[in-house]
Amino acid sequence: MVALLVSTFFTVFLAELGDKTQLAIVSISGTSNRPGAVFAGSACALVLASLVGAAAGGSLSSVIPTDALQLAASVGFLVLGARLIQRSLQAEAEAEDGEATDP
Amino acid sequence: MSASRPDVSGQEPEAATGSPLVEETADTQPEGVATVEPAAPEQQPGASQAWLTVFLSTATTVFLAELGDKTQLAALLLSAESGRPAVVFVGASLALISSSLVGVVLGRWLSRLMAPQQLERGAGVLMVVLGLWLGRQAMLQLAPAALSVPSG
Repeated sequence: MVALLVSTFFTVFLAELGDKTQLAIVSISGTSNRPGAVFAGSACALVLASLVGAAAGGSLSSVIPTDALQLAASVGFLVLGARLIQRSLQAEAEAEDGEATDP
Repeated sequence: MSASRPDVSGQEPEAATGSPLVEETADTQPEGVATVEPAAPEQQPGASQAWLTVFLSTATTVFLAELGDKTQLAALLLSAESGRPAVVFVGASLALISSSLVGVVLGRWLSRLMAPQQLERGAGVLMVVLGLWLGRQAMLQLAPAALSVPSG
């Protein structure tokens, strides 16, 4: 049982390192000033996802339209990314405004 | 643009219990963490992001991205082989919590190294690229015939 636990841990941990999910967590946490919320949110989501995975067994893809969910996730990524870019551009414009009006 | 982000000053944070709209003492959660970072909050337009907003948007994105991912495949494989899904679930959960902690710490570390604007732009570009890649994968799965080059 311990062996199974340890092997699961390392398999999933190594599979997850450098994964797109972790990249997303890095970018969200780096650009938000609420690391606690980011950690709680990502941990809850990941646990829930693995609960679904372990419970559904091999029949996950027949229960849930995973491809459609991936598509929804990609839209979420695009929205978050666009918002970040927009925010950085805005901050830049504001900084320039500040320099122009207040030298 | 701060109007788009809800600034709930009265009923702000929420313990990770999952029950929304529970009012709590506002200064228990993230303020202590926020003081660690040297990045001046007044420079960041997103400084007033509500805890719940960050929590929910992170959770939704990560959950959607994670379903059907290779981690799922690994977990499925292990649980199918072992016949002990509970142990597999605990192991996978611990691993995922650790990996998300690594991600959060890495993000904090980057935010100390780089200017917030630079980091925001880099992260934004990264997210857009990931989104396009993820969308392409999903589209290929959903409609392979429509996207692949017709043979013959």
